[in-house]
Amino acid sequence: MNLLAPEHLWALLVLPVLWWLALPGRPRAVRWTAHFAQWQEALARQPRRPHRRRRLRFWLLALAAAAAVVAWCQPILPGLAGKQRLVVVLDGSASMAVPAVDGGASPFAQARAALATQLAAVPSHVEVTLVQPGRSLVRRHGASARALHDLAPPAGELGVDLAELTATVAADPATTVWTLTDGQGQRALPTAGALSLFANPGDNAALLSVQIDDAWPLPRMALRATVLAFAATAVEAEVGVVGACATVAPRSLRLQPGTAETVEFELLRTVAGGNLEVRVRLAGDRCASDDVWRLQLPPLPAPRIAVREEVDGGPFAQAAAKALAAEVGGSVVAVQPGEPIGFLLVDGGQLALVPGQVRALTFGTGLAVEPAAVASPWPQPTGIDWARAHPLLLGLDLSELAVQQATHGLLPAGEELLWADAPDGRVPLAVLVGAGTTASVHFAFRLQDGNLPLLAAFPQLLRRVFVASHGAAAVSSALSTAPAAAELDLTLVARGADRGLPAFASEDRDLAAWVLLAGLLCLAVRAFVR
Amino acid sequence: MKAAAALPTMPPPFPPAFAALLQALLGQPLSMHGAADERTRARRARLSQSGTFVGHRPYVRGDDLRRIDWAACARTGALFVKQLEEEERRTATLLLDLSPSLLVGLVPRRLAMLRAAAVLGGLALARLDGLTVVAPGAGDASIRPFVGLQSLGSLLRHLETLPIVATTPAAAATLVLQQRVPGRVHWLSDFAVPREVELPLFALRRRGAHVTGWLPELPEDRQAPQPGFVRVVDPESGAMLAVPIDAAFAAELQRQLAALALAQDHLFSQAGAQLVRWPAHVADDMQVAAWLPFLTRCAG
Repeated sequence: MNLLAPEHLWALLVLPVLWWLALPGRPRAVRWTAHFAQWQEALARQPRRPHRRRRLRFWLLALAAAAAVVAWCQPILPGLAGKQRLVVVLDGSASMAVPAVDGGASPFAQARAALATQLAAVPSHVEVTLVQPGRSLVRRHGASARALHDLAPPAGELGVDLAELTATVAADPATTVWTLTDGQGQRALPTAGALSLFANPGDNAALLSVQIDDAWPLPRMALRATVLAFAATAVEAEVGVVGACATVAPRSLRLQPGTAETVEFELLRTVAGGNLEVRVRLAGDRCASDDVWRLQLPPLPAPRIAVREEVDGGPFAQAAAKALAAEVGGSVVAVQPGEPIGFLLVDGGQLALVPGQVRALTFGTGLAVEPAAVASPWPQPTGIDWARAHPLLLGLDLSELAVQQATHGLLPAGEELLWADAPDGRVPLAVLVGAGTTASVHFAFRLQDGNLPLLAAFPQLLRRVFVASHGAAAVSSALSTAPAAAELDLTLVARGADRGLPAFASEDRDLAAWVLLAGLLCLAVRAFVR
Repeated sequence: MKAAAALPTMPPPFPPAFAALLQALLGQPLSMHGAADERTRARRARLSQSGTFVGHRPYVRGDDLRRIDWAACARTGALFVKQLEEEERRTATLLLDLSPSLLVGLVPRRLAMLRAAAVLGGLALARLDGLTVVAPGAGDASIRPFVGLQSLGSLLRHLETLPIVATTPAAAATLVLQQRVPGRVHWLSDFAVPREVELPLFALRRRGAHVTGWLPELPEDRQAPQPGFVRVVDPESGAMLAVPIDAAFAAELQRQLAALALAQDHLFSQAGAQLVRWPAHVADDMQVAAWLPFLTRCAG
């Protein structure tokens, strides 16, 4: 027995005081008598019983007082030596979700059941921490760990070396580690601590990647899918595409174990857009999560291109609109009240237009919302250059662009695409304004004031401006992620024997209540001892 | 129980005032019976162990075996004991109890005993042939004879120097019987344990001794103690007892003391002896009138 507060033992000094107080009363009057026997006999014949066990009564009182003092000193019974902390490493990789061969519970479900059973038997004073590496690292501690709160579903790659992780954790002598894994993707199983192995090997085929060549706003699209299979021998697989495209026949191919194969599809996407699903099928495939690749295709626009030009603007605007309509499969429409338009092309003049709020392309157009007083003519700007790395101009050759007349201060604030040197520094000649799904591009010169319509890059520039004006609405997005490489080969499983949990340290037992009870018992016995 | 520290003290037993009182008492016209006055009754009832052979009588249970006449038994076939006539003597014997229990009392019982012994001894020296003081436990002074009134001073000094020593009645009787102390035996004691006195008293009686018991009586020998919490100490053993005294206890103790007195009286009555009680506080009174009842008992 140990005392947590031995400094309170000074209270044992109360024992001599109790002894002094327990001494029988000593009468002060002394009476000598020759009839001592008669006094004794008379005393013995009294109905009251004298205290016959004064010494026992004192010792019981002393024991009770000593017990109270010892209880105050917080006595404890030291527990048995052992581990005081438990770190549970639960494999949260995708392979843990693969159902068993017989359709039974997945390794993750088995591990979770084992955890629920074993953690219930772990002494309450043991500090439990649960770590679940996977696509995201989940960490739970204490009661949350014991209750397995909010465990993430198995997904992604493990991302850690379990052997190294457990060895690091087990370096603390007070800590034991318990690893629950299927052994998938591990170079070796952990050697430290307890181990529960839920091996679940089998054949698997997976879509490694899907690439698309998108011609939006045109409906044609090229799709390349890379497929990989892991099996003991070559297997026959089938790859198909369904969803927001015209029906295409699935492709059968023979996959050699561990060898990637690429399958190409020419697709004709639907106008409404939607999900496009690429799926590989293999008989006896154990893991379905890596068999599908999903894409979100935006709807195809119906380009209605409207043109506004000055009276003396020349044919350039109309020609540009026709070229754009031909490029994106749209049509040129007249600007009429109540007529919906998809894209506005303006050459010169003034227009009440909020930059970035309307899908538009303007050339030397004064925007009514901008202060017109700052605009000034800018004859023959020199040193013209462009943002060569910008997606809008990437790969376009504007080196022969010449501008006879531009307007200084005409452009709104935006992302500079084209600029020229001026006495006060570099001045933009074209800007991109807007974000999200709507954008507009503005040039500081009219079409007839330069040779831009004559450049070979002009049609492509128009097309890119059209696409850029739609922003994110023109971008296809992938809904699937690439499967974890280490989780694909389900035949590659580390094997080993399970190891149980070691003995945990038992908790120190607080003896104060028992000592106090013993003291009370002494007092109770003393009440019956006379 | 715990031994008491010291025994109660006692004032000098024979101050000059008592010496004057003693002279006055001895001058009183009183006589004292010795053995010769009882000659007739002694011849009739008891015959002492020493003396002239006067005949036989049948043996009865309790007789001293040494007195059996074996020659007569051989001749007749029955047991007979020899009867001897005590030689005429006018003597007295004072058998004193020196035990510490006599130190008890406001006027200590030992003080009363010593002064009574002085009066008895003075009367014997003045009116009889001699006096023998037997004090068991006093060592060489256990037996001391005194003759003549001129030895009164020696008697008082002897009595004053007697020690306080615990003895038993059996030892006292044995001493008397072994030394064949003659005459009437005046046994001065508190007779606190009657059962210890019984056998010695009967032994003295069988040997023909005429014993008179003198018991200085204290008020606490009969009266109940006052209520309170007292520490009672036994002078003999030093044992101590803490006693809460209430009315019930006082009544019970009074019953015990009465039973003791009754046992003492019954003992001496059975032995055919006389037990004389007199108040111990008289011994502290130096007036002759206060001692006259005691003198009367001495003469009786």
